[in-house]
Amino acid sequence: MSPVTRRQLILGAAPAAASVPLLKLALSGDADAASPSHMSAMAHDVMIGADVPAPGGPNDLDSLLYPPPASAPGEAREYDVVAVDREIEVLKGVTFAAWTYNGNVPGPVIRATEGEMVRVRFRNAGSHPHTIHFHGIHPADMDGVFEIVEPDASFVYEFPARPYGMHLYHCHATPLKKHIAKGLYGAFIIDPPEPRPPAQELVMVMNGFDTDGDGENELYTVNGRAFYYAKYPIRVKRSETVRIYLANLTEFDLLNSFHLHGDFFRYYPTGSSDQYEYTDTVMLTQGQRGIIEIDFQNTGLFMFHAHQSEFTELGWMGFFDVVE
Amino acid sequence: MPWRLWALVPVLLLVGAVGLFASTGNSLLDLVGQQPPPVDQFDVRRVEFKPGEIRIHVTNPQRQELTIASATVDDAIVPFELDGPRTLGRLRSSTIVVPYDWVSGDPYTVGITSSTGIETTTEIGAAVETQAPSPKGFLGYALIGFLVGIVPVALGLAWLPSLRRADPRWLAAFMALTAGLLTFLAFDAFAEALDLQATLASSLQGVGLVLLGVASSYLGLTFFAQRFSATGEREQGAPLAGLALATLVAVGIGVHNLGEGLAIGSSIALGELSLGTFLIVGFMVHNVTEGLGIAAPVAEARRVGLGRLAALAVIAGAPAIVGAWVGGFLTNDLVGVFFFALAVGAALQVVVEVGRYVARRAPGGLRSGYVIAGYLAGIAVMYVTGLLIA
Repeated sequence: MSPVTRRQLILGAAPAAASVPLLKLALSGDADAASPSHMSAMAHDVMIGADVPAPGGPNDLDSLLYPPPASAPGEAREYDVVAVDREIEVLKGVTFAAWTYNGNVPGPVIRATEGEMVRVRFRNAGSHPHTIHFHGIHPADMDGVFEIVEPDASFVYEFPARPYGMHLYHCHATPLKKHIAKGLYGAFIIDPPEPRPPAQELVMVMNGFDTDGDGENELYTVNGRAFYYAKYPIRVKRSETVRIYLANLTEFDLLNSFHLHGDFFRYYPTGSSDQYEYTDTVMLTQGQRGIIEIDFQNTGLFMFHAHQSEFTELGWMGFFDVVE
Repeated sequence: MPWRLWALVPVLLLVGAVGLFASTGNSLLDLVGQQPPPVDQFDVRRVEFKPGEIRIHVTNPQRQELTIASATVDDAIVPFELDGPRTLGRLRSSTIVVPYDWVSGDPYTVGITSSTGIETTTEIGAAVETQAPSPKGFLGYALIGFLVGIVPVALGLAWLPSLRRADPRWLAAFMALTAGLLTFLAFDAFAEALDLQATLASSLQGVGLVLLGVASSYLGLTFFAQRFSATGEREQGAPLAGLALATLVAVGIGVHNLGEGLAIGSSIALGELSLGTFLIVGFMVHNVTEGLGIAAPVAEARRVGLGRLAALAVIAGAPAIVGAWVGGFLTNDLVGVFFFALAVGAALQVVVEVGRYVARRAPGGLRSGYVIAGYLAGIAVMYVTGLLIA
């Protein structure tokens, strides 16, 4: 028998050597074939509580959620609004380069009583020209369309507040899509001369964020942070009417909506008349708004969200925590 | 000794200069223009579907850091866990594990969003469960590799008795057929390698990888070809002949079959290929001509035993099994590019060796009509049998 040559050794050893890692692969493969059952359970849970990827702490958005109280008629209300560029966190770990009124998206809640003079001192501290266009009845030179406010310039919007209802304001500089999508909008409430019955009042501005500039929203929120009210449910009392001043400022999507779980509400479109719809789902296009009044029948956690499921799963959802 | 230290000086100076630029370079670039923000796209290497979860392997292909902030499946933000770092440095990778109740056969769009809000989406045509390595899987791929690799080559070797009785000019034609066949394989593998490298991140320099693969196998085989032929049988510089040449052809075909096995294996694993029996049949017919290509050089040699012939069949066919294992369980575009490139170099090297043999030993050399016709026939046969697989 001739001695084994080097060549034979190499040729023989190679397949044996190659089989070792492959064998290891085969043996280790069976170990992760069993998937932990808790993982598939997680897939079915709805998002609520501490694990929700909403940014910030529990009371961060209180100034946007709770409007200032209605004023006594006759006073002229003054507001200072500054346009400022700011990076905001819209989802946990995701920032958006926003153009804001007073540092937040949406901007501050502006409130007046029908008939009184509203004075808004607007200063542009941003890097692009902006305006404020109010929805309502006012003179043409207070409309925020022709008077472009350049960076570092100011303008005072002054007009009598008319008509009563729920309205909104936004920037009207061109390009329109960009200036709205970047975050320049907010709620504008005009109270009727006789105050509405007392209620727990909330403001909800529905919007979206196009974080990568592709002309579509990647996130949908209410009051500027995705999933925020799923992480921090809104506590309300069952004993008092809940009044929500709702506005839709979502860019790029034709429609948005509001759906309440477990109860029905009265919906006053634009809040400008006594006519209401008794329902649990309403649809709004950009610029539409209204007043929702809920008399909760039961206590507990009730979800509210857009009934476009995509918007819900991209951040536009929350919970009411109804207590006695 | 001092001159070795002097040799280090340019290296040290280079390190110093590069370091200086790296630390202060941005101010230099600011003189000429503004840096746009980074693209912040993830490179999604692989999406696996396991019972109750989806696993997404991503790498960061850009120079700047990239942070994983959010994951979506079909336009819904989903909770996820990370198997790896959240902030990825250059070329680092991580696995995003999403607990998800996926539907078998449904298409899915998976998105990963960076901390700057840029979303990278990838589409899966049909969700199929990714097979973990298991004995059944190993056996299955081995069987496929055996059917596609070893069996056809062994069948092709059965032409050997006929070839031995053939006219030397016809034998030369069959040798040329071998060369044409291998040239086709080389081109085919090269095209596959280039297509696949285009999907890699640009920082991985796919084209350079292809060159590396081609050169490695070509030059490696050239080097080993000298060692294969028994010393004393050949004069200096003579072309390989007989069993040695047949072995080289077998090695070249073997490396190509490694690539073929890889392609079959990874296609099955990705659920992209509906593997019907007709597909395996197509490859089998395609590969029978490879057996002929190995038999042709053997026909001129002294009698060889069945054992050696079997060994040739295994050398040429077994890599298909290995390729199917690697492709099926370790689907990785980077490995795929390299394997295809190896196949190119191996095939070309064998073409050169066969060419040298025909030029020296065949009647009429490379210009004979038989040789030219045989070469073209080799290409044509591969083309026609390839239609069966398409």
